Amino acid sequence: MTTSERYRRASDVRYRILDGEAVVVRQRAAEVLGLDAAGSRILDLLDGERPLANVAATLAEEYEGDRETIAREVEAFVAELAAAGVVEPVEEGE
Amino acid sequence: MSEHSARIERFWRDNQLFSALVELTYRCNLDCFFCYNDVGLAGTPLAFERYGELLEEMARLGVLHLTLSGGEPLAHPDFFRIGARARELGYVVRVKSNGHALRGALARRLRDEVDPYLIEVSLHGAVAATHDRQTRVPGSFERLLANLEGLRELGLRFQINSTLTAWNEAEFEGMYAIADRFAVRLQIDPEVTPRDDGSREPLSIAASREGLRRLFEFEAERSRTYAASQGGGAAREPAIVRQGDSIAPPSPRANGSGKFCGAGSSNVCIDPYGNVYPCVQWRRPVGNLHESTLAEIWATSRGLADVRELERQIARRLAGEESSLLGFCPGQAEIVTGDAAAIYPAAVVRRELLREVNRESAKRALLPVIRG
Ligand SMILES: C[S@@+](CC[C@H](N)C(=O)[O-])C[C@H]1O[C@@H](n2cnc3c(N)ncnc32)[C@H](O)[C@@H]1O
Ligand code: SF4
Repeated sequence: MTTSERYRRASDVRYRILDGEAVVVRQRAAEVLGLDAAGSRILDLLDGERPLANVAATLAEEYEGDRETIAREVEAFVAELAAAGVVEPVEEGE
Repeated sequence: MSEHSARIERFWRDNQLFSALVELTYRCNLDCFFCYNDVGLAGTPLAFERYGELLEEMARLGVLHLTLSGGEPLAHPDFFRIGARARELGYVVRVKSNGHALRGALARRLRDEVDPYLIEVSLHGAVAATHDRQTRVPGSFERLLANLEGLRELGLRFQINSTLTAWNEAEFEGMYAIADRFAVRLQIDPEVTPRDDGSREPLSIAASREGLRRLFEFEAERSRTYAASQGGGAAREPAIVRQGDSIAPPSPRANGSGKFCGAGSSNVCIDPYGNVYPCVQWRRPVGNLHESTLAEIWATSRGLADVRELERQIARRLAGEESSLLGFCPGQAEIVTGDAAAIYPAAVVRRELLREVNRESAKRALLPVIRG
Protein backbone atom coordinates (compact mmCIF):
# COMPACT_ATOMS: atom_id res chain seq x y z
CA MET A 1 0.00 0.00 0.00
CA THR A 2 1.44 3.40 -0.94
CA THR A 3 0.27 6.81 0.08
CA SER A 4 -0.66 7.73 -3.49
CA GLU A 5 -3.12 4.85 -3.72
CA ARG A 6 -6.82 5.63 -3.81
CA TYR A 7 -9.61 3.53 -2.35
CA ARG A 8 -13.35 3.63 -2.74
CA ARG A 9 -16.22 2.05 -0.92
CA ALA A 10 -17.35 -1.23 -2.53
CA SER A 11 -20.49 -0.86 -4.63
CA ASP A 12 -22.58 -3.02 -2.30
CA VAL A 13 -21.67 -1.00 0.78
CA ARG A 14 -24.33 1.20 2.36
CA TYR A 15 -23.73 3.22 5.50
CA ARG A 16 -24.81 6.05 7.75
CA ILE A 17 -22.82 7.88 10.36
CA LEU A 18 -24.91 8.25 13.47
CA ASP A 19 -23.57 9.88 16.58
CA GLY A 20 -20.08 9.71 15.13
CA GLU A 21 -20.25 5.96 14.54
CA ALA A 22 -20.76 4.33 11.17
CA VAL A 23 -23.29 1.56 10.69
CA VAL A 24 -22.08 -0.22 7.58
CA VAL A 25 -24.07 -2.81 5.64
CA ARG A 26 -22.40 -5.07 3.12
CA GLN A 27 -25.38 -5.98 1.02
CA ARG A 28 -23.94 -9.02 -0.74
CA ALA A 29 -22.75 -10.65 2.45
CA ALA A 30 -25.82 -9.49 4.41
CA GLU A 31 -23.52 -8.24 7.10
CA VAL A 32 -23.56 -5.25 9.45
CA LEU A 33 -20.38 -3.69 10.78
CA GLY A 34 -19.84 -0.83 13.20
CA LEU A 35 -16.99 1.65 12.98
CA ASP A 36 -15.92 4.08 15.67
CA ALA A 37 -15.58 7.80 15.07
CA ALA A 38 -12.12 7.72 13.49
CA GLY A 39 -13.02 4.68 11.39
CA SER A 40 -16.21 6.37 10.20
CA ARG A 41 -14.30 9.45 9.19
CA ILE A 42 -11.83 7.37 7.19
CA LEU A 43 -14.65 5.44 5.48
CA ASP A 44 -16.34 8.71 4.60
CA LEU A 45 -13.12 10.05 3.07
CA LEU A 46 -12.50 6.95 0.93
CA ASP A 47 -14.37 8.29 -2.07
CA GLY A 48 -12.05 6.93 -4.76
CA GLU A 49 -10.71 10.43 -5.40
CA ARG A 50 -8.46 11.21 -2.46
CA PRO A 51 -5.10 9.47 -2.22
CA LEU A 52 -4.37 7.80 1.12
CA ALA A 53 -1.84 10.53 1.96
CA ASN A 54 -4.64 13.06 1.74
CA VAL A 55 -6.93 10.95 3.95
CA ALA A 56 -4.15 10.62 6.53
CA ALA A 57 -3.43 14.37 6.42
CA THR A 58 -7.11 15.14 7.05
CA LEU A 59 -7.15 12.76 10.02
CA ALA A 60 -3.95 14.33 11.34
CA GLU A 61 -5.64 17.74 11.31
CA GLU A 62 -8.66 16.43 13.16
CA TYR A 63 -6.97 14.11 15.67
CA GLU A 64 -4.13 14.62 18.05
CA GLY A 65 -0.98 12.65 17.45
CA ASP A 66 2.10 12.37 15.45
CA ARG A 67 1.47 12.58 11.68
CA GLU A 68 3.50 9.52 10.82
CA THR A 69 1.82 7.36 13.40
CA ILE A 70 -1.58 8.51 12.17
CA ALA A 71 -0.58 7.79 8.56
CA ARG A 72 0.52 4.28 9.54
CA GLU A 73 -2.71 3.70 11.45
CA VAL A 74 -4.80 4.94 8.56
CA GLU A 75 -3.00 2.58 6.18
CA ALA A 76 -3.45 -0.35 8.51
CA PHE A 77 -7.12 0.44 8.95
CA VAL A 78 -7.73 0.79 5.21
CA ALA A 79 -6.04 -2.57 4.70
CA GLU A 80 -8.46 -4.04 7.25
CA LEU A 81 -11.43 -2.45 5.49
CA ALA A 82 -10.20 -3.82 2.17
CA ALA A 83 -9.78 -7.31 3.63
CA ALA A 84 -13.34 -7.10 4.95
CA GLY A 85 -14.61 -6.17 1.47
CA VAL A 86 -15.77 -2.71 2.57
CA VAL A 87 -13.39 -0.77 0.31
CA GLU A 88 -11.40 -1.59 -2.80
CA PRO A 89 -8.38 -0.03 -4.51
CA VAL A 90 -8.98 2.22 -7.50
CA GLU A 91 -6.82 1.17 -10.44
CA GLU A 92 -4.48 3.71 -12.02
CA GLY A 93 -6.29 5.64 -14.73
CA GLU A 94 -9.79 4.83 -13.38
CA MET B 1 -26.62 -8.89 23.40
CA SER B 2 -24.97 -8.25 20.05
CA GLU B 3 -23.39 -4.92 19.31
CA HIS B 4 -26.04 -4.24 16.69
CA SER B 5 -28.91 -4.97 19.10
CA ALA B 6 -27.36 -2.58 21.62
CA ARG B 7 -27.14 0.05 18.91
CA ILE B 8 -30.81 -0.41 17.97
CA GLU B 9 -31.77 -0.07 21.62
CA ARG B 10 -29.98 3.27 21.75
CA PHE B 11 -31.80 4.39 18.60
CA TRP B 12 -35.14 3.57 20.20
CA ARG B 13 -34.22 5.34 23.40
CA ASP B 14 -32.86 8.43 21.64
CA ASN B 15 -35.53 8.66 18.91
CA GLN B 16 -32.87 8.12 16.26
CA LEU B 17 -34.68 7.51 13.00
CA PHE B 18 -33.17 4.47 11.26
CA SER B 19 -35.87 2.65 9.23
CA ALA B 20 -38.64 3.96 7.03
CA LEU B 21 -41.42 2.17 5.21
CA VAL B 22 -42.80 4.21 2.34
CA GLU B 23 -46.08 3.21 0.74
CA LEU B 24 -45.72 4.66 -2.74
CA THR B 25 -49.23 4.01 -4.01
CA TYR B 26 -52.35 2.02 -3.20
CA ARG B 27 -52.71 1.05 -6.83
CA CYS B 28 -52.25 -2.65 -7.38
CA ASN B 29 -52.30 -5.21 -10.16
CA LEU B 30 -53.83 -7.80 -7.81
CA ASP B 31 -56.96 -7.54 -5.70
CA CYS B 32 -56.43 -9.50 -2.49
CA PHE B 33 -59.58 -10.14 -0.55
CA PHE B 34 -57.90 -9.40 2.78
CA CYS B 35 -55.78 -6.40 1.74
CA TYR B 36 -55.44 -3.96 4.65
CA ASN B 37 -54.93 -0.88 2.45
CA ASP B 38 -57.51 1.86 2.78
CA VAL B 39 -57.97 2.47 -0.94
CA GLY B 40 -60.65 5.08 -0.23
CA LEU B 41 -58.23 7.33 1.67
CA ALA B 42 -58.33 10.88 0.28
CA GLY B 43 -55.33 13.12 -0.23
CA THR B 44 -52.83 14.57 -2.66
CA PRO B 45 -50.19 12.05 -3.69
CA LEU B 46 -46.59 13.06 -3.07
CA ALA B 47 -45.00 14.22 -6.33
CA PHE B 48 -41.68 12.82 -7.54
CA GLU B 49 -39.85 16.02 -6.49
CA ARG B 50 -41.23 15.67 -2.98
CA TYR B 51 -40.01 12.06 -2.83
CA GLY B 52 -36.59 13.31 -3.88
CA GLU B 53 -36.56 15.84 -1.05
CA LEU B 54 -37.87 13.28 1.39
CA LEU B 55 -35.15 10.77 0.50
CA GLU B 56 -32.48 13.43 0.95
CA GLU B 57 -33.98 14.51 4.24
CA MET B 58 -34.29 10.98 5.59
CA ALA B 59 -30.67 10.26 4.66
CA ARG B 60 -29.62 13.36 6.62
CA LEU B 61 -31.74 12.22 9.56
CA GLY B 62 -29.94 8.88 9.57
CA VAL B 63 -32.39 6.50 7.89
CA LEU B 64 -30.43 3.56 6.49
CA HIS B 65 -33.19 0.99 5.93
CA LEU B 66 -35.81 1.96 3.38
CA THR B 67 -38.71 -0.32 2.50
CA LEU B 68 -40.77 0.52 -0.57
CA SER B 69 -44.26 -0.92 -0.28
CA GLY B 70 -47.82 -0.10 -1.19
CA GLY B 71 -50.19 -1.16 -2.70
CA GLU B 72 -47.89 -2.48 -5.31
CA PRO B 73 -44.81 -0.24 -5.28
CA LEU B 74 -43.91 -1.22 -8.85
CA ALA B 75 -47.25 0.24 -9.97
CA HIS B 76 -46.06 3.74 -9.05
CA PRO B 77 -45.14 5.57 -12.28
CA ASP B 78 -41.91 6.89 -10.73
CA PHE B 79 -40.90 3.68 -8.97
CA PHE B 80 -37.59 3.35 -10.81
CA ARG B 81 -36.64 7.00 -10.45
CA ILE B 82 -37.39 6.85 -6.73
CA GLY B 83 -35.57 3.54 -6.33
CA ALA B 84 -32.52 4.74 -8.23
CA ARG B 85 -32.35 7.91 -6.13
CA ALA B 86 -32.57 5.78 -2.98
CA ARG B 87 -29.67 3.71 -4.21
CA GLU B 88 -27.61 6.85 -4.93
CA LEU B 89 -28.33 8.13 -1.45
CA GLY B 90 -26.99 4.94 0.09
CA TYR B 91 -30.12 3.29 1.44
CA VAL B 92 -30.42 -0.42 2.11
CA VAL B 93 -33.55 -0.85 0.01
CA ARG B 94 -36.17 -3.53 0.48
CA VAL B 95 -39.06 -3.83 -1.94
CA LYS B 96 -42.30 -5.44 -0.80
CA SER B 97 -44.03 -6.65 -3.93
CA ASN B 98 -46.68 -9.16 -4.89
CA GLY B 99 -44.19 -10.30 -7.55
CA HIS B 100 -46.77 -10.30 -10.33
CA ALA B 101 -44.91 -7.83 -12.57
CA LEU B 102 -41.41 -8.86 -11.49
CA ARG B 103 -40.10 -10.46 -14.64
CA GLY B 104 -38.19 -9.81 -17.83
CA ALA B 105 -36.96 -6.29 -18.46
CA LEU B 106 -38.63 -4.95 -15.33
CA ALA B 107 -36.83 -7.40 -13.05
CA ARG B 108 -33.52 -6.59 -14.74
CA ARG B 109 -34.15 -2.87 -14.29
CA LEU B 110 -34.84 -3.48 -10.62
CA ARG B 111 -31.49 -5.20 -10.25
CA ASP B 112 -29.52 -2.74 -12.34
CA GLU B 113 -31.12 0.54 -11.31
CA VAL B 114 -32.27 -0.01 -7.75
CA ASP B 115 -30.00 -2.85 -6.57
CA PRO B 116 -32.27 -3.75 -3.66
CA TYR B 117 -30.90 -5.57 -0.69
CA LEU B 118 -34.00 -7.76 -0.57
CA ILE B 119 -37.28 -8.27 -2.37
CA GLU B 120 -40.12 -9.54 -0.22
CA VAL B 121 -42.82 -11.26 -2.25
CA SER B 122 -46.17 -12.51 -1.00
CA LEU B 123 -47.45 -16.04 -1.31
CA HIS B 124 -51.00 -16.89 -0.25
CA GLY B 125 -51.11 -20.64 -0.61
CA ALA B 126 -49.23 -23.69 -1.84
CA VAL B 127 -51.52 -24.31 -4.79
CA ALA B 128 -52.98 -22.10 -7.49
CA ALA B 129 -56.58 -22.43 -6.30
CA THR B 130 -55.75 -21.02 -2.85
CA HIS B 131 -53.32 -18.30 -3.90
CA ASP B 132 -55.54 -17.10 -6.74
CA ARG B 133 -58.59 -17.16 -4.51
CA GLN B 134 -56.87 -14.54 -2.34
CA THR B 135 -55.45 -12.41 -5.17
CA ARG B 136 -58.61 -12.76 -7.28
CA VAL B 137 -56.40 -12.88 -10.36
CA PRO B 138 -56.41 -16.28 -12.10
CA GLY B 139 -52.93 -17.43 -13.05
CA SER B 140 -51.19 -15.26 -10.42
CA PHE B 141 -49.79 -18.28 -8.56
CA GLU B 142 -48.16 -19.88 -11.59
CA ARG B 143 -46.87 -16.53 -12.71
CA LEU B 144 -45.39 -15.80 -9.28
CA LEU B 145 -43.49 -19.11 -9.22
CA ALA B 146 -42.14 -18.49 -12.71
CA ASN B 147 -41.12 -14.97 -11.73
CA LEU B 148 -39.33 -16.24 -8.62
CA GLU B 149 -37.32 -18.56 -10.86
CA GLY B 150 -36.42 -15.50 -12.93
CA LEU B 151 -35.35 -13.53 -9.84
CA ARG B 152 -33.10 -16.39 -8.84
CA GLU B 153 -31.51 -16.48 -12.28
CA LEU B 154 -30.89 -12.74 -12.10
CA GLY B 155 -29.23 -13.13 -8.71
CA LEU B 156 -31.82 -10.98 -6.95
CA ARG B 157 -32.17 -11.90 -3.29
CA PHE B 158 -35.72 -12.47 -2.17
CA GLN B 159 -37.75 -13.86 0.68
CA ILE B 160 -41.33 -15.04 0.74
CA ASN B 161 -43.90 -13.53 3.09
CA SER B 162 -47.22 -15.05 3.84
CA THR B 163 -50.10 -14.54 6.23
CA LEU B 164 -51.81 -17.59 7.68
CA THR B 165 -55.50 -17.53 6.80
CA ALA B 166 -58.44 -19.89 7.01
CA TRP B 167 -57.90 -20.49 3.30
CA ASN B 168 -54.24 -21.52 3.42
CA GLU B 169 -53.84 -22.93 6.93
CA ALA B 170 -53.83 -26.51 5.64
CA GLU B 171 -51.05 -25.65 3.18
CA PHE B 172 -48.20 -24.11 5.14
CA GLU B 173 -46.06 -27.23 4.74
CA GLY B 174 -46.45 -26.79 1.00
CA MET B 175 -45.50 -23.12 1.26
CA TYR B 176 -42.38 -24.08 3.19
CA ALA B 177 -41.63 -26.65 0.48
CA ILE B 178 -41.82 -23.86 -2.12
CA ALA B 179 -39.46 -21.66 -0.08
CA ASP B 180 -37.10 -24.58 0.44
CA ARG B 181 -37.07 -25.22 -3.29
CA PHE B 182 -35.73 -21.72 -3.80
CA ALA B 183 -33.61 -21.95 -0.62
CA VAL B 184 -35.10 -18.70 0.65
CA ARG B 185 -36.63 -17.63 3.88
CA LEU B 186 -40.38 -17.92 4.39
CA GLN B 187 -41.95 -15.67 6.99
CA ILE B 188 -45.51 -16.55 7.92
CA ASP B 189 -47.41 -13.88 9.80
CA PRO B 190 -49.97 -15.69 11.94
CA GLU B 191 -52.36 -12.75 12.14
CA VAL B 192 -54.75 -11.23 9.66
CA THR B 193 -55.23 -7.56 10.54
CA PRO B 194 -58.25 -5.33 10.04
CA ARG B 195 -58.28 -2.89 7.16
CA ASP B 196 -56.64 0.48 7.75
CA ASP B 197 -60.07 2.14 7.55
CA GLY B 198 -61.13 0.04 10.56
CA SER B 199 -63.16 -2.52 8.60
CA ARG B 200 -62.96 -6.02 10.05
CA GLU B 201 -63.87 -7.75 6.82
CA PRO B 202 -60.37 -9.26 6.41
CA LEU B 203 -60.75 -10.96 9.81
CA SER B 204 -63.46 -13.18 8.33
CA ILE B 205 -60.61 -15.28 6.92
CA ALA B 206 -58.39 -15.26 10.03
CA ALA B 207 -56.75 -18.63 10.66
CA SER B 208 -58.42 -21.00 13.13
CA ARG B 209 -56.92 -21.76 16.52
CA GLU B 210 -56.14 -25.27 15.34
CA GLY B 211 -54.47 -23.91 12.21
CA LEU B 212 -52.30 -21.62 14.32
CA ARG B 213 -51.35 -24.42 16.67
CA ARG B 214 -50.31 -26.62 13.77
CA LEU B 215 -48.20 -23.82 12.31
CA PHE B 216 -46.45 -23.14 15.62
CA GLU B 217 -45.81 -26.87 16.14
CA PHE B 218 -44.46 -27.21 12.64
CA GLU B 219 -42.16 -24.21 13.02
CA ALA B 220 -40.92 -25.47 16.40
CA GLU B 221 -40.13 -28.81 14.79
CA ARG B 222 -38.22 -27.12 11.97
CA SER B 223 -36.21 -25.15 14.51
CA ARG B 224 -35.36 -28.36 16.33
CA THR B 225 -34.30 -30.09 13.14
CA TYR B 226 -32.17 -27.12 12.26
CA ALA B 227 -30.61 -26.94 15.71
CA ALA B 228 -29.80 -30.66 15.57
CA SER B 229 -28.27 -30.30 12.12
CA GLN B 230 -26.10 -27.51 13.50
CA GLY B 231 -24.83 -29.70 16.31
CA GLY B 232 -27.53 -29.14 18.92
CA GLY B 233 -28.16 -26.06 21.00
CA ALA B 234 -31.27 -23.98 21.20
CA ALA B 235 -31.07 -22.24 17.85
CA ARG B 236 -34.35 -20.87 16.58
CA GLU B 237 -33.32 -20.91 12.95
CA PRO B 238 -35.61 -22.76 10.58
CA ALA B 239 -34.05 -25.49 8.49
CA ILE B 240 -33.57 -23.31 5.48
CA VAL B 241 -30.86 -21.16 4.07
CA ARG B 242 -31.50 -17.76 5.52
CA GLN B 243 -30.67 -15.02 3.15
CA GLY B 244 -31.28 -11.64 4.21
CA ASP B 245 -32.81 -11.01 7.54
CA SER B 246 -29.54 -10.99 9.41
CA ILE B 247 -29.30 -7.25 9.07
CA ALA B 248 -32.91 -6.48 9.79
CA PRO B 249 -33.25 -4.32 12.85
CA PRO B 250 -33.90 -6.78 15.66
CA SER B 251 -37.06 -6.44 17.68
CA PRO B 252 -36.09 -7.42 21.17
CA ARG B 253 -39.09 -7.21 23.45
CA ALA B 254 -37.28 -6.99 26.73
CA ASN B 255 -34.86 -4.20 26.07
CA GLY B 256 -33.03 -1.43 27.77
CA SER B 257 -34.48 1.39 25.70
CA GLY B 258 -37.49 1.63 28.00
CA LYS B 259 -39.74 1.32 24.97
CA PHE B 260 -41.70 -1.64 23.71
CA CYS B 261 -40.72 -1.35 20.04
CA GLY B 262 -39.21 1.10 17.60
CA ALA B 263 -42.50 2.52 16.25
CA GLY B 264 -42.25 6.30 16.20
CA SER B 265 -38.83 6.16 17.83
CA SER B 266 -36.60 4.70 15.18
CA ASN B 267 -39.17 3.57 12.62
CA VAL B 268 -41.59 5.59 10.58
CA CYS B 269 -44.18 4.90 7.87
CA ILE B 270 -45.31 7.29 5.16
CA ASP B 271 -48.40 6.73 3.03
CA PRO B 272 -48.88 7.83 -0.61
CA TYR B 273 -50.52 11.10 0.51
CA GLY B 274 -47.71 12.16 2.81
CA ASN B 275 -49.36 11.07 6.05
CA VAL B 276 -46.76 10.04 8.60
CA TYR B 277 -47.39 7.16 11.01
CA PRO B 278 -45.24 5.58 13.74
CA CYS B 279 -45.34 2.22 11.90
CA VAL B 280 -47.09 0.51 9.00
CA GLN B 281 -49.24 -1.30 11.58
CA TRP B 282 -49.92 1.72 13.78
CA ARG B 283 -52.06 3.98 11.63
CA ARG B 284 -52.25 6.96 13.95
CA PRO B 285 -51.32 9.98 11.79
CA VAL B 286 -48.70 12.13 13.48
CA GLY B 287 -48.14 14.67 10.71
CA ASN B 288 -48.28 15.26 6.96
CA LEU B 289 -45.42 15.94 4.58
CA HIS B 290 -47.48 18.44 2.57
CA GLU B 291 -47.51 20.63 5.69
CA SER B 292 -44.17 20.00 7.41
CA THR B 293 -40.83 18.40 6.85
CA LEU B 294 -40.17 15.02 8.40
CA ALA B 295 -37.53 16.60 10.64
CA GLU B 296 -40.13 19.02 12.04
CA ILE B 297 -42.62 16.22 12.58
CA TRP B 298 -39.96 14.05 14.21
CA ALA B 299 -38.93 16.79 16.60
CA THR B 300 -42.20 18.51 17.43
CA SER B 301 -45.22 16.28 16.71
CA ARG B 302 -47.52 16.07 19.71
CA GLY B 303 -48.83 12.80 18.31
CA LEU B 304 -45.35 11.30 18.22
CA ALA B 305 -44.68 12.43 21.77
CA ASP B 306 -47.85 10.56 22.80
CA VAL B 307 -46.78 7.45 20.88
CA ARG B 308 -43.37 7.47 22.57
CA GLU B 309 -44.97 7.82 25.98
CA LEU B 310 -47.31 4.93 25.16
CA GLU B 311 -44.29 2.87 24.10
CA ARG B 312 -42.78 3.40 27.55
CA GLN B 313 -46.05 2.53 29.30
CA ILE B 314 -46.48 -0.63 27.22
CA ALA B 315 -42.91 -1.73 27.92
CA ARG B 316 -43.60 -1.40 31.66
CA ARG B 317 -47.00 -3.05 31.47
CA LEU B 318 -45.83 -6.04 29.46
CA ALA B 319 -42.56 -6.53 31.30
CA GLY B 320 -43.78 -9.67 33.08
CA GLU B 321 -46.18 -10.89 30.44
CA GLU B 322 -44.01 -13.19 28.28
CA SER B 323 -44.53 -10.51 25.70
CA SER B 324 -42.49 -12.26 23.04
CA LEU B 325 -45.15 -14.99 23.11
CA LEU B 326 -47.93 -12.44 22.75
CA GLY B 327 -46.46 -11.09 19.53
CA PHE B 328 -48.02 -7.89 20.81
CA CYS B 329 -48.32 -4.94 18.47
CA PRO B 330 -49.52 -1.56 19.79
CA GLY B 331 -50.91 -0.66 16.36
CA GLN B 332 -52.93 -3.82 16.22
CA ALA B 333 -54.11 -3.25 19.81
CA GLU B 334 -55.26 0.26 18.95
CA ILE B 335 -57.21 -0.75 15.86
CA VAL B 336 -58.82 -3.77 17.53
CA THR B 337 -59.58 -2.37 21.01
CA GLY B 338 -59.12 1.39 20.71
CA ASP B 339 -56.31 1.20 23.30
CA ALA B 340 -52.73 0.75 22.11
CA ALA B 341 -51.75 -0.78 25.44
CA ALA B 342 -54.60 -3.32 25.73
CA ILE B 343 -53.79 -6.99 25.25
CA TYR B 344 -56.11 -8.04 22.44
CA PRO B 345 -57.66 -11.51 22.02
CA ALA B 346 -55.44 -12.71 19.13
CA ALA B 347 -52.34 -12.00 21.24
CA VAL B 348 -53.74 -14.00 24.16
CA VAL B 349 -54.50 -16.96 21.88
CA ARG B 350 -51.00 -16.79 20.46
CA ARG B 351 -49.44 -16.81 23.93
CA GLU B 352 -51.55 -19.77 25.03
CA LEU B 353 -50.67 -21.77 21.94
CA LEU B 354 -46.98 -20.94 22.09
CA ARG B 355 -46.82 -21.89 25.77
CA GLU B 356 -48.35 -25.26 24.95
CA VAL B 357 -46.07 -25.81 21.96
CA ASN B 358 -43.00 -24.77 23.96
CA ARG B 359 -43.94 -27.17 26.76
CA GLU B 360 -44.21 -29.99 24.22
CA SER B 361 -40.89 -28.98 22.65
CA ALA B 362 -39.14 -28.95 26.01
CA LYS B 363 -40.38 -32.49 26.68
CA ARG B 364 -39.19 -33.70 23.31
CA ALA B 365 -35.84 -32.02 23.67
CA LEU B 366 -35.08 -34.54 26.42
CA LEU B 367 -35.14 -37.38 23.89
CA PRO B 368 -31.72 -38.28 22.56
CA VAL B 369 -30.85 -37.04 19.09
CA ILE B 370 -29.12 -39.55 16.85
CA ARG B 371 -26.81 -37.99 14.34
CA GLY B 372 -25.59 -39.74 11.23
C1 LIG C 1 -50.30 -4.53 1.62
S1 LIG C 1 -49.06 -5.56 0.95
C2 LIG C 1 -48.08 -4.42 0.01
C3 LIG C 1 -46.98 -5.06 -0.77
C4 LIG C 1 -47.37 -5.95 -1.94
N1 LIG C 1 -48.46 -5.46 -2.68
C5 LIG C 1 -47.63 -7.35 -1.47
O1 LIG C 1 -48.76 -7.81 -1.50
O2 LIG C 1 -46.66 -7.98 -1.04
C6 LIG C 1 -47.96 -5.97 2.31
C7 LIG C 1 -48.15 -7.34 2.94
O3 LIG C 1 -49.30 -7.34 3.74
C8 LIG C 1 -50.00 -8.56 3.58
N2 LIG C 1 -51.40 -8.27 3.95
C9 LIG C 1 -52.30 -7.58 3.24
N3 LIG C 1 -53.44 -7.47 3.91
C10 LIG C 1 -53.27 -8.11 5.08
C11 LIG C 1 -54.09 -8.30 6.23
N4 LIG C 1 -55.33 -7.83 6.29
N5 LIG C 1 -53.58 -8.99 7.27
C12 LIG C 1 -52.31 -9.45 7.23
N6 LIG C 1 -51.49 -9.28 6.19
C13 LIG C 1 -51.96 -8.61 5.12
C14 LIG C 1 -49.77 -8.90 2.14
O4 LIG C 1 -49.98 -10.27 1.89
C15 LIG C 1 -48.33 -8.49 1.96
O5 LIG C 1 -47.45 -9.54 2.34
S1 SF4 D 1 -50.95 -7.53 -3.75
FE1 SF4 D 1 -50.49 -6.42 -1.84
S2 SF4 D 1 -51.33 -4.34 -2.10
FE2 SF4 D 1 -52.13 -5.65 -3.75
S3 SF4 D 1 -54.12 -6.24 -3.03
FE3 SF4 D 1 -52.65 -7.86 -2.46
S4 SF4 D 1 -51.94 -7.31 -0.40
FE4 SF4 D 1 -52.96 -5.50 -1.25
